[in-house]
Amino acid sequence: MKNSKFLIFFILVLILALLISPIQGQKKTVIKYWLWLDDPTDPMFPDLVKQFNSLNPDIQVEYELIPLAQYYDKLVTAVGAGTAPDCARFKDWWLGAFVDAGALEPLDNYLNNWNGYKDVITNLWTTGKIHAKSPIYMMPHQLITFYLYYRKDWFKEKNLPPPTDLSKFLDAAKKLTDPSKNRYGFGLRGGAGGQDQWLAFMVAQGARLVDRTGKVIADSPEAILANQWYIDLFRVHKVAPPSAPTDAYAQVLGAFQAGITAMMAHHVGSSVLVTQRLGEENVGVVPMPPADPRRPATMMTMSGNVILSGSKNKDAAFKFISWLTEKDQMDKWCRSRQGQLPVLKSVASMPYYMNNIFFKVSLDQAKYAIAWPPLPGVGYISAQLWLSLMQRALLGEITSKEMMVEIANALRKK
Amino acid sequence: MRKNQFFKYFTIFIWLSFILIPYIWMFITSIKSPNELYTFPLKYFPHKPTLEGYKLLIETTPFLSYMKNSIIVAIFTVIIALFVAILASYSFSRFDFKGKMPLSFIFLITQMFPAILLAIPLFLLMRNLGILNTPLSLILAHSTFAVPFSTWMITGFLNSIPRELDEAAQIDGCGKLGALRHVIIPVASPGIIAATIYIFIYSWNEFLYALTFTSDIRARTIPVGLHTFMGEYIIRWDLLTAGGVITGLPVIIFFMIIQKYLIKGLTEGAVKG
Amino acid sequence: MHLERSNLIYRWEKRVFPFLLLLPAFILIIGVVAYPIVRALWLSFHNYNPLKPHASEYTGFENYLKILRDSVFSIALRNSIFWIIGVVLFQFLGGLLGALILRQNFRGRSIVRGLSLIPWVTPSILIAIMWIWMLDGNYGIINDILLKLGIISKYIPWLAQKNTALPSVMIADIWRGIPFFAIMLLAAMEAIPEELYEAAKIDGAGPFKIFTHITWPLILPTVIITTMLRIIWTANHMDLILIMTDGGPGFSSLIIPLMSYHTAYKQLNFGYGATIAILQGLFLIIFISLYLRLLRKRGSIY
Repeated sequence: MKNSKFLIFFILVLILALLISPIQGQKKTVIKYWLWLDDPTDPMFPDLVKQFNSLNPDIQVEYELIPLAQYYDKLVTAVGAGTAPDCARFKDWWLGAFVDAGALEPLDNYLNNWNGYKDVITNLWTTGKIHAKSPIYMMPHQLITFYLYYRKDWFKEKNLPPPTDLSKFLDAAKKLTDPSKNRYGFGLRGGAGGQDQWLAFMVAQGARLVDRTGKVIADSPEAILANQWYIDLFRVHKVAPPSAPTDAYAQVLGAFQAGITAMMAHHVGSSVLVTQRLGEENVGVVPMPPADPRRPATMMTMSGNVILSGSKNKDAAFKFISWLTEKDQMDKWCRSRQGQLPVLKSVASMPYYMNNIFFKVSLDQAKYAIAWPPLPGVGYISAQLWLSLMQRALLGEITSKEMMVEIANALRKK
Repeated sequence: MRKNQFFKYFTIFIWLSFILIPYIWMFITSIKSPNELYTFPLKYFPHKPTLEGYKLLIETTPFLSYMKNSIIVAIFTVIIALFVAILASYSFSRFDFKGKMPLSFIFLITQMFPAILLAIPLFLLMRNLGILNTPLSLILAHSTFAVPFSTWMITGFLNSIPRELDEAAQIDGCGKLGALRHVIIPVASPGIIAATIYIFIYSWNEFLYALTFTSDIRARTIPVGLHTFMGEYIIRWDLLTAGGVITGLPVIIFFMIIQKYLIKGLTEGAVKG
Repeated sequence: MHLERSNLIYRWEKRVFPFLLLLPAFILIIGVVAYPIVRALWLSFHNYNPLKPHASEYTGFENYLKILRDSVFSIALRNSIFWIIGVVLFQFLGGLLGALILRQNFRGRSIVRGLSLIPWVTPSILIAIMWIWMLDGNYGIINDILLKLGIISKYIPWLAQKNTALPSVMIADIWRGIPFFAIMLLAAMEAIPEELYEAAKIDGAGPFKIFTHITWPLILPTVIITTMLRIIWTANHMDLILIMTDGGPGFSSLIIPLMSYHTAYKQLNFGYGATIAILQGLFLIIFISLYLRLLRKRGSIY
């Protein structure tokens, strides 16, 4: 008898608790945020979220950490199923396809009232647009520009000048290649993710995928020649390891760290790993070597934050993503293990960044760096098409022209 | 005779080295410090072995939560899928009825499409059931996809048991289900154990649905958790390999315990008793 | 009266009871898988971008006609056939050897049996990256060992060459799948009554004769079913290829499910992606039903 009374009491309490909980939940606006991180053991990001939640008692940010390799797929699935988060970390590669589908919220109205607007490095707002006059869809956050690492000690040994332009680069690459010792001049990345490095070499030669008016010129004679030059590094000059067609980041980085390659094109994301392994005195860095020193160019890629158009709490979502781009938070992020380049002038001018040669070279390049054109086809090119075309070109199955025509077609596709 | 003994242990040695070398290599990698990973010429053994990777894995990542989720999902999947599959294979193996072949074939058809194709509609289904991001969604999906194969496997084993055996049991007063429980299952135990292992490992390693249906440590399983250690510019070899070494252990220990039922002592006892 | 009763039992046994036993399985399968498969069929007749679900258009058989002209599909089909046959054949042979080894009596047998599961229980991402690493063209252990043994004269980039990429991934997949066959065949061997072996030994049969006359015929049903299941499994599982080569270099290790995935998720063309997968599903259904019919004629299975 006593037992059953207790049971009834217990059930009542339970029902009560269930009834109360949604009421309590309604007080707070819950924001879902998706992101990928380089290193899940780094407490930087969880700490930032905690800080934001305590600063904003009316907002509760809940984040979901998704492996980068599956990030795009999962976001596509979620948008298709109507379960997308409120806001998400995003790459400029994907803008075209998502904006085309109306999946992203234009940020202009919010940005007008955001006091950090002018602090963002001016050139970088373009990375959030899909053409010169479009609204801004992505809040800049972490920037990458490609530069070139080289082995100072090996260059000294052979009395070679730093590879500051492409002819010096090729000359050094040839002289430092010696397959019998398993040494190669340059770590060409033909595997996953190699499209950024490739684009850096394309623009450094003066080739462009689209012209100023937005017309696709990826199949122009200049672009075909520039691509041929890149393919020849592997096929004709043989200055890259034989594994180049499938080498992805891990292999290219590993080969540079192990003393197999003399030069590697990458960005600050790897500077700590490289100097730790080889010693700061042995690692040199130069801006992306251009064909014509008067016309420097390199590629940049932005990972920023977007608001999904299906979100019901866009104001709160903007509050969070703009807060992430503000000075202190940006500084924390850039100094962490996930750190790339700050997008704020006030952060970039801090001594920490100005006195670090890798940051400095990268930030200097930001003024003239070129991003992927934000066309719908870029998502497919960067996720799959470039890879299979490049590999077939490196294996000699297709010509440079055939490759560039396919890329141009994908860019033109609506 | 001695030569025979030598030959026996020699084949066991070859077998084990084939099975274990990649795993041992993974273990060696897990105790190398990051600076010793990329070397040319290749260094086989670490200069200073370290267990730092394991320590970081347990202390700074939710690996133990992932493992807990994996264990829960795998155990419940085994219980549900095995129960369902044993009933179904009993039906296929012991009864003659119309449409048996087409029905058993329908089981297989569910397996003939790549899982990736089914992921989005299944995601919608789980959302409508309101069980996204819970172990239940994975238990449901894993059981469903494990049932067809395990049914076929168990049916195969049941077919190799003479029918006289269960008919005799029925004459002794057991009903049909009684015969299944007291005679067929014990006699078929090697096959049922093999199917158990199949179901358990399938659920343990399943990645795609685990990725699609779960979003945080409340339901995320080991395979998805391991993927988060591969960042954009940092690959945490130490965490990955340490996680890989640990992941296999519970299954292997579990198998070492149940493998004695693979041998026929039990079956003979059941037949005679 | 008596007749009616037995008629009832007959009906119960023929018409009701077996279906009752199948009911839980069908509830699960139809409840969970039926809709996705119907959905996939629907997709294959549409032009569908998941980011724009409301803009999908009915395209009739266009996707199916496109496949006939798609040269990449025929490459993928050829690779898929090579992949399935190679992987399943060697997994089976390795698994059979393994089962014969593990069946013997020796000290520490339960430990060895447990360890034998290792390749199978290791998550595929680790299998993939460990094999990538061991096969690496610059500092891989496999190159190092082969070079020291004098089998190769210089390091070979196994995963970067057209003719070695797919076989390299196959080796990793074979390694992973051997324990599956070994355990299944071991279970079948353990179910063989010991008396048969004793009788054969008394008759003076050697190990080879015992194998061909007793073991093999008795494990044959298991061999057939396991092989069939493995064919279906291998045809649709691309996890190792996805991580190790992503189909490359070029299309040299592209198999059908991977092509379907690329088309659906990277190109955002779900209609065509579904068509590719359905076509493979049809090939498999035809192949498996022929396989089963052949075996039923020979009486190996019911």
